[in-house]
Amino acid sequence: MSVIVALTLKEAMRRRAFLGTLIILIGLYGLTFLPRAFKEAFGGDQQQFEVGVNLAVLFGVDMIKFFSSVLAILLCAGAITAEIERGYLAAILPRPIHRWELYLGKWLGVMLFSAANATLWTAMLWASVAVQGEPRAEMWRALPYVLLYPVLYGTLALALSSFLGASIASMFTVAAGAFAYFADHFLRPIAGFFDVRLLQQMVWLSEWVLPMAVLKRLVQIRVDTILPPGFGERPRFGRPEVLEFLNPPVQNTDIAYVGLYIVIALLVGAVIFWRRDVQ
Amino acid sequence: MWAIETRNLRKVFRPLLGGKPLTAVDNLNLQVPAGTVFGFLGPNGAGKTTTIQILIGNVYPTAGEAFVLGHRAGALAAKRKLGFLPEKFQFHDFLTAEEFLRMHGRLAKMDGATLRKRIDEVLELVGLSERRRSKIREFSKGMQQRIGLAQAILHDPDLVILDEPTSALDPLGRRRVREVVQYLKERGKTVFLNSHLLSEVELSCDQVAIINKGRVVKQGVLEDLLVNRSIVSIELQQATPQVLEAMAKVAQRVHPIDERRVTAEVAHEDDVPQLARAIIEAGGALMGLQAHRETLEDLFIQTVEGESK
Ligand SMILES: Nc1ncnc2c1ncn2[C@@H]1O[C@H](COP(=O)(O)OP(=O)(O)OP(=O)(O)O)[C@@H](O)[C@H]1O
Ligand SMILES: [Mg+2]
Repeated sequence: MSVIVALTLKEAMRRRAFLGTLIILIGLYGLTFLPRAFKEAFGGDQQQFEVGVNLAVLFGVDMIKFFSSVLAILLCAGAITAEIERGYLAAILPRPIHRWELYLGKWLGVMLFSAANATLWTAMLWASVAVQGEPRAEMWRALPYVLLYPVLYGTLALALSSFLGASIASMFTVAAGAFAYFADHFLRPIAGFFDVRLLQQMVWLSEWVLPMAVLKRLVQIRVDTILPPGFGERPRFGRPEVLEFLNPPVQNTDIAYVGLYIVIALLVGAVIFWRRDVQ
Repeated sequence: MWAIETRNLRKVFRPLLGGKPLTAVDNLNLQVPAGTVFGFLGPNGAGKTTTIQILIGNVYPTAGEAFVLGHRAGALAAKRKLGFLPEKFQFHDFLTAEEFLRMHGRLAKMDGATLRKRIDEVLELVGLSERRRSKIREFSKGMQQRIGLAQAILHDPDLVILDEPTSALDPLGRRRVREVVQYLKERGKTVFLNSHLLSEVELSCDQVAIINKGRVVKQGVLEDLLVNRSIVSIELQQATPQVLEAMAKVAQRVHPIDERRVTAEVAHEDDVPQLARAIIEAGGALMGLQAHRETLEDLFIQTVEGESK
């Protein structure tokens, strides 16, 4: 299986997609210097500067989530059906390996690659605020959970790629992500005006499709400490069920649910790949 | 023991969105003795590649069974001793020839020292020693097919399955493949090969099976199949019905080509003079006559055409 992991890593390196994201991120990290630049240009006190840095860190963590997911989708969506169609797998599978080994090897390869990239980007983010005299640890505390983003998206894309071509598999993965994002961001604020139970059911459905909101909360509690005062505060009044819906608490089972989702998606994909013809 | 055995093997492709199912392999029964070079022949779309894909475990049969080296097709134990060159070969072309073979050797669980030695050997065998550090992407089509052959024999397998191994090769390359097949045979390996170049199959195979529409229509030892039969090309001033009738009494088959030319098949070389006599006695004006021993191509065409009539 290590051969397959190595091959997948080599392929990922060859795709150069990570270079593109690296360049984009370096550009975006420039933004983290804005608070410093403002302070020097217009003055302002230390507290304002720190709030600026905090926002830059939050923004940077979001970027890392986004780009590592994109990278994982990109590499996973074309891993099975597209490779079968190109004829790569027809020469590999007659070798004495199980199909699940190949599948798992590809999964591991992409995950290692995305994780390595996300870690590198986190280090860059840390460095960019550290050189401004603000060494922060929040991004490191959030990293294990941030890494779950590419795992979540990549696993789903890989499972879809076991029977769909690269473009359709990535399209469906992105659509699942968009649904989860929509449910989390747009259904909550309207809770005051609509039937909360119905909205809640839609949110649950979206979390079945992709537990992104759950994961988002897990990351958030790691970085929330640096939220500027007033940000993300709960409204003080309103019906209790609306309040809870507006700001769902993090539960102990959340991480288990994300883990279970990943395991099941991985299994489903592997079984489909195991049962299909490779031709 | 059979190196390959199939029992009532069947594969039906069903289009996902309705449409007519297509039977690519239809109750195929094959027996390939170990240690032979076996030619697997048939017209385009006969189901050869599909059968091969079932044998190596890439495709699941709809019904029936396939055994490879005594194991169920696709089992790890079978795959360990199997080498395969795909028809539509497409390899990880960002690797160099050497890296590519090293990867396949490791997938085949070869140990480092043996692998290094074998890579030199097989590159030499397929004539790519000088290009070992070139990327496969930079290879010509024929060179890619050669590296595919190298990959198939790398781990010294007991059974080598080659799906059209010479489709992209020049005459020298094709001769090299024949030499490789000979080399494998001398080492007691079984070679199962599918090719449309029948003159080559005739040169290298011991046994053949001809399939059509997913079924075996002829199978046997090449020498027995091509026993003594002769094909006679005849030119007459006029191929009249009387002459054709007279020929039909001697020949097994008479096949008029045009006004003047006829081919006939006789069961034995010794019947050729008798055929000539029959033509003359029927009043035919014989302009030319040439007999040759039946070739595999003749047998193939006759078998497949006879089948579709
Ligand atoms: N994946 C597939 N889906 C649907 N039909 C298929 C598929 N693969 C093969 N077929 C059909 O099965 C039949 C047999 O194809 P196969 O490739 O086995 O033929 P072949 O004998 O190898 O022909 P050739 O000499 O042209 O290589 C053909 O009619 C082909 O269209
Ligand atoms: Mg074919």
